[in-house]
Amino acid sequence: MPNETSPAQGSDAEAILSVRDLVVTFGSFTAVNGTSFDLFPGETLAVVGESGSGKSVTALSIMRLVELGTRGKIEQGEILFRRDNGEVVDLVGLSENEMREVRGNDISMIFQEPLTSLNPVYTVGNQVAEAVQLHQGVDKAEGMARALEMFQQVRIPDPEQRLEQFPHEMSGGMRQRVMIAMALSCDPRVLIADEPTTALDVTIQAQILGLMRDLRQTTGAAVMIITHDMGVVAEVADRVVVMNQAEIVEQGDVYDLFENPRERYTQALLAAVPRLGSMTGLDEPAPFDLVEMETVEMKQVDS
Amino acid sequence: MSAPLVEVRDLCKVFPVGGGSNVHAVEHVDFSLDAGETLAVVGESGCGKSTLAHLVIRLLEPTSGSVHLDGVDITSLGNRAMREHRQKLQIIFQDPFASLDPRRSVGKAVAEPLTIHGKGTASEIDDRVAQLFERVGLTADMMRQFPHQFSGGQRQRICIARALALEPQLVIADEAVSALDVSIQAQVVNLMMELQAEMGLSYLFISHDLAVVERVSHRVAVMYLGQIVEIGPRSAIFENPQHSYTKRLLDAVPIADPRARRDRPLITGEIPSPVWEPGTAPTRVELVEIAPGHLAARED
Repeated sequence: MPNETSPAQGSDAEAILSVRDLVVTFGSFTAVNGTSFDLFPGETLAVVGESGSGKSVTALSIMRLVELGTRGKIEQGEILFRRDNGEVVDLVGLSENEMREVRGNDISMIFQEPLTSLNPVYTVGNQVAEAVQLHQGVDKAEGMARALEMFQQVRIPDPEQRLEQFPHEMSGGMRQRVMIAMALSCDPRVLIADEPTTALDVTIQAQILGLMRDLRQTTGAAVMIITHDMGVVAEVADRVVVMNQAEIVEQGDVYDLFENPRERYTQALLAAVPRLGSMTGLDEPAPFDLVEMETVEMKQVDS
Repeated sequence: MSAPLVEVRDLCKVFPVGGGSNVHAVEHVDFSLDAGETLAVVGESGCGKSTLAHLVIRLLEPTSGSVHLDGVDITSLGNRAMREHRQKLQIIFQDPFASLDPRRSVGKAVAEPLTIHGKGTASEIDDRVAQLFERVGLTADMMRQFPHQFSGGQRQRICIARALALEPQLVIADEAVSALDVSIQAQVVNLMMELQAEMGLSYLFISHDLAVVERVSHRVAVMYLGQIVEIGPRSAIFENPQHSYTKRLLDAVPIADPRARRDRPLITGEIPSPVWEPGTAPTRVELVEIAPGHLAARED
């Protein structure tokens, strides 16, 4: 149910980010319909769902990017962010100038396709240094020094040489490392990763997921990962929010959710996941054992 | 034993990239595929798996080597003979939206191969298309609609209907379910398996997704830098992988069970570039038979 509270709430931990009754529309279409959830310091929260479930719109709403360019509108709800000094601000009420302070400094975001997120005419080192200069008010040399430090932290091989490269000279995996380096360069307290490994090959995906797990320990940032991949959820998440058709279907601890999904939608989603090793001992191919589910797919799309 | 439906022998495709450098996309590839069988080709971006698919259906001309379909070397056929042969081979691509003409009704899209090959009168073709729509889980009244009125999964069903119109023997699925949501992917995979059982289709299933491959395939070929480094029965590849690259691929697949979360041995490094400087070429790997039908490249 949309207003269900997370199990961790009410304990000593105070949420760093609390989304309350969020409603986001695009014209007459409701993309997010009354969602509420919390993100706690140091945890990795996965928001999982299929195309059109509202998971990316949720992420863009937190960054207040949903109103820019995409003509989305936050109709209702609060996005409460707890600052370093304990002060709680509602991001929905902030001006664009105030939001610009929050983005990058407090909350950073990385996207699925690192190539479109990077400027093709500047070296990657310049781009990371620029982010640091803008947000921290340091000079170019300090910005470059910080970029080098970040490249080392995200384990980019030969970091000095890599700073001088252009995006097209790097592989997809390296570019995503650059994006993570840039996102973490100003020590944000929240990192939102929207399908960060979806465009990557499986061996590179494993490297990036491993990196994200390690970075959470070294930086202490809370991570919210948006994904359609239950395998990725199982690998990195502490808690999970399952979305379907603009609403939260179920949320909870990752172990509970995989072992004991309560809602039929979650059960159906898990049943459809191809699992490596599920065919051990069988010679012939076998169809998936599907749980009946009503998805967006079943309804014909209106013209 | 009947002869295999498809026999690929010593197939190579080299793309010149200027300055005398070459991309060796497909290097000395050999395999066969029986009727009613699914051979999956797995590997990462740039390994040559899609180039291989395009060579088998002759959307690309090979640099050398042969592709026999039903005993005929299709790489040496002229245009007219190839057109006859094309009926036996069909391909389904990753993005069903890009594969359908936005201004043509989906019924016309499915009817087109039947019309081109003169398979009956207009009303016969209409009946056949209606039948195909029903068979892939759509309804005949959807024939008059346009691609944008369908979801991704429905569009892929339309592409499958079109591929089946000429009753092919071989269907090449080039990442055909990769772009679909997981529940839809499972439905489309199940449909493909039903159609195989019913029509005796062979699939060449190109995919980067090992968990899906494990479900659908009888045999699996692993490609790395243009060459097959391991090929064998599905169970041999998944349960007893021999080549270091196969093991590395399998280790990297995320497991949808948090209890199975493990500290992976951190894989480092990336796949080297397939671009070869002038005068250089890749070394041909030597496949050794480990068990009947299970071959793996010798490693130093």
